[in-house]
Amino acid sequence: MTDRPDSVAERAALLAILRREPPPRGRGRTFPGLPPAAEGGVARGRFLLVTGAIVVLLLAVALAGLMVGSVRIPAGEALRIVGHWLTGGALGTPDWRPAYEIIIVQTRIPRVILAAVVGAGLGVSGMVIQAIVRNPLAGPSILGVSSGAATGAVVVMRFGLVVLGAFTLHVAAFLGGLAALTLVFWIARTGGQMTPTRLVLAGVAMGAVLGALTSLLVLTSPDPQLAARVLFWTLGGFGSAQWKLLPVPVIALALGLCVMLAQARRLNLLMAGDESAVALGLDVERFRRSMFLLTAALTGITVAVSGVIGFVGLIMPHIVRLLVGADHRRALPAVALAGATFTIAADLVARSIIAPLELPVGIVTALVGGPFFIWLLRRDARALGVAR
Amino acid sequence: MSAPLIPPARLDIEGVSLRAGETALVRDISLQVAPGQMMGLLGPNGAGKSSLLRAVYRMSRPETGRVLVNGEDVWKRPAAWVARHVGAVLQDMPADFPLTVRDVVAMGRSAHKALLEPDLPHDAALIGAALALQRLETLQDRPFRTLSGGERQRVLLARALVQQPQVLVLDEPTNHLDLRHQIALLQFLKDSGITVIAALHDLNLAAMYCDRLCLMDRGRLAAEGPPEEVLTAERIRAVYGIEPLIARHPGNGSVWVLPG
Repeated sequence: MTDRPDSVAERAALLAILRREPPPRGRGRTFPGLPPAAEGGVARGRFLLVTGAIVVLLLAVALAGLMVGSVRIPAGEALRIVGHWLTGGALGTPDWRPAYEIIIVQTRIPRVILAAVVGAGLGVSGMVIQAIVRNPLAGPSILGVSSGAATGAVVVMRFGLVVLGAFTLHVAAFLGGLAALTLVFWIARTGGQMTPTRLVLAGVAMGAVLGALTSLLVLTSPDPQLAARVLFWTLGGFGSAQWKLLPVPVIALALGLCVMLAQARRLNLLMAGDESAVALGLDVERFRRSMFLLTAALTGITVAVSGVIGFVGLIMPHIVRLLVGADHRRALPAVALAGATFTIAADLVARSIIAPLELPVGIVTALVGGPFFIWLLRRDARALGVAR
Repeated sequence: MSAPLIPPARLDIEGVSLRAGETALVRDISLQVAPGQMMGLLGPNGAGKSSLLRAVYRMSRPETGRVLVNGEDVWKRPAAWVARHVGAVLQDMPADFPLTVRDVVAMGRSAHKALLEPDLPHDAALIGAALALQRLETLQDRPFRTLSGGERQRVLLARALVQQPQVLVLDEPTNHLDLRHQIALLQFLKDSGITVIAALHDLNLAAMYCDRLCLMDRGRLAAEGPPEEVLTAERIRAVYGIEPLIARHPGNGSVWVLPG
C-alpha cells in the first residue's frame, strides 16, 4: 500500500469529508456532492431474511401449540376457531365441537402466549445481561434472580402461606428475585465501581447461598411431597397459564423491549468495553445500573410466572448474533422472536413427549440447550485459539 | 458548496493529579496544546502517559486540576459532549462479541445521535470515508476479533475519526504497526489539522512529527517544548537512565537520539 500520487489527493478528500461541519439537522441531512455510501446493505438484507424466517417458524409452532395436547385438534379447525375468536365471532360459523373452542380459547391460546412472552423476555434479558457484564457466556440466572425467585416460591410452599389468593406463589417468587437482586447489586457496588466481574461473582455467590437455603427449607419440611413440588416448580412450566396471569408479563415485556430498543446504540457501546464506551460518550456506571435493574425486573417477572427455565436466555442471544450480527438494533427484535419460538416449541415437546403427563419445560430447554452450549464453547475455543 | 471545516480545539491541562489508591500516577501536570498542534507525550513505562490521557477523554477524574477543551471543563460536561469533541484511539478493545469492523467504526457516531435516530446517509458517508481513509473497505464485514493488532488499531482510529473530534487523543497508536504504517499514521495525524495529543515510545519519530513534546517522569512533567529543547542528553540520561548520543537527522535536521 504505497501512496501513489493520486491516492494522496484521494486521502486528502476523504479527510476533508470527515472534518466538514455537519449539515443542519433534519431528515435529508447529507453532504452535497457525495456519492451515497454503502449502508451495510448485506447486514440489512440478512436481518430481514432471518427475521422473516423466524416469524414463519414462530407462527408454525404457535399453530402446533394450539393443536397438540390431551385432545388433538386439527389445524383447519384450530385456525377457524382462532379467526372466529379474534374477530369476536364475525368470521366463520361455529360448526366445530364447542369443547374445541373452550380448549383453544381458555387453555391453549393463553398457554402459547405465556410461553412466547416468557421466551421473548428471557431472550432479550439474556442478551442485555451479556452486554452488561460483557460476557457472552452469561445468562439471566447469573444475577441471582432465578435463585431468589425459587427461594421465595419455596418459602410459600413450605409454610403454606396464602396472602394474595391464587397469585401468592407468583408474587413471592417475584419478591424473592427482587430481594436477591438488591443484594447482588449491593455486594457488587460495595467498595468501588460495579464492574462486570464483580457483578458475576456476586451473582454466583448469591445463587449458591440461596440454593442452599432452598434445599434446607425443603429437607426440613414435614411435607414429603414438598420436594417434588419444588422440583417441578423450579424446573419451570406453563401449566398454570390462564388469561388473568397474562397482563403483567405482557406489559412488562412490551415496556422492557421498548426501552431496550431505544437504548440499543448504547448497549452496543457496552460490548466494546468500559474504556471504549466512555470514550464514545456513554456514562457507563449509570447506564449499566439502569439496564441491570430493567433486565432483573423482567427476568423476575418471567421466573415468577413460569418458574426457572434455563438456557433460553443463554443460547438464544448466541444463535441470533451468529445469524444477524451483534448490533442490538437488529439482534434484540430477532432474539425476542427466536426466544418466543424456542420456548413454544420446547413447551410442545414437554407436553407431548410423555402425554398425558407433562414434563417441566426447563428439562427440555436444558436437554437441548446444554449440549448446544458445550458445542459453542468448543467451537469458540477452536476458533479463537487457546489464548482466550 | 463545500461546508466549512470543523475547527480544531484548544486543549488545556491545568494542574492535573491522578491517583489509584495510594499510588500517585500523575502529579500536578499542566500542558497547553494549541489548536491544530500535535503534542507528543514521552516517558518510560509507568511514567503516567496513559493515565494523563485518560483524564482527557473523561475516563479518570483528576484528583485535582482540570482538563479544558476550548475552555470547557470536560468533567462539567456530559460524557456525550466530550465524545463529540474529543476522540480517543485506545490501545485495544475487548472483542468478546462478534462485532464487525463496520459495527465498531459506526459506534463512533453514537454521541452524535439523538434517541431513536437511525443511521442517516450522513453517518454512512462519514463511516465510509473513515473506512476508506484507513484502507479498511475490504475488511468492513470481517469480525473485529479476527483482525491483527495493526488492523485493529486502524479500526479504532477510524472509529475516533467518525466522532468528528476537535481533539484526538492517542495512546501509543504506533505500538502494533510496522515502520511504514507508523510513519503513515504520524504523517496523517500531522496533516489532519486536528489537535493531537499522543503517547509515543519512539523518541525519533516523535521528534520528527510532533510540534511539541512533553517528557514525563514518574508522574511529573520533566520538560515541555519543541523537540530540540526537550530531547537533550542530560534529560534523557535522567529520565531513561541510558547514556544517549544526540545527533541531527541528516535529511530534515530533526533531533536524533541514539544509544551511546
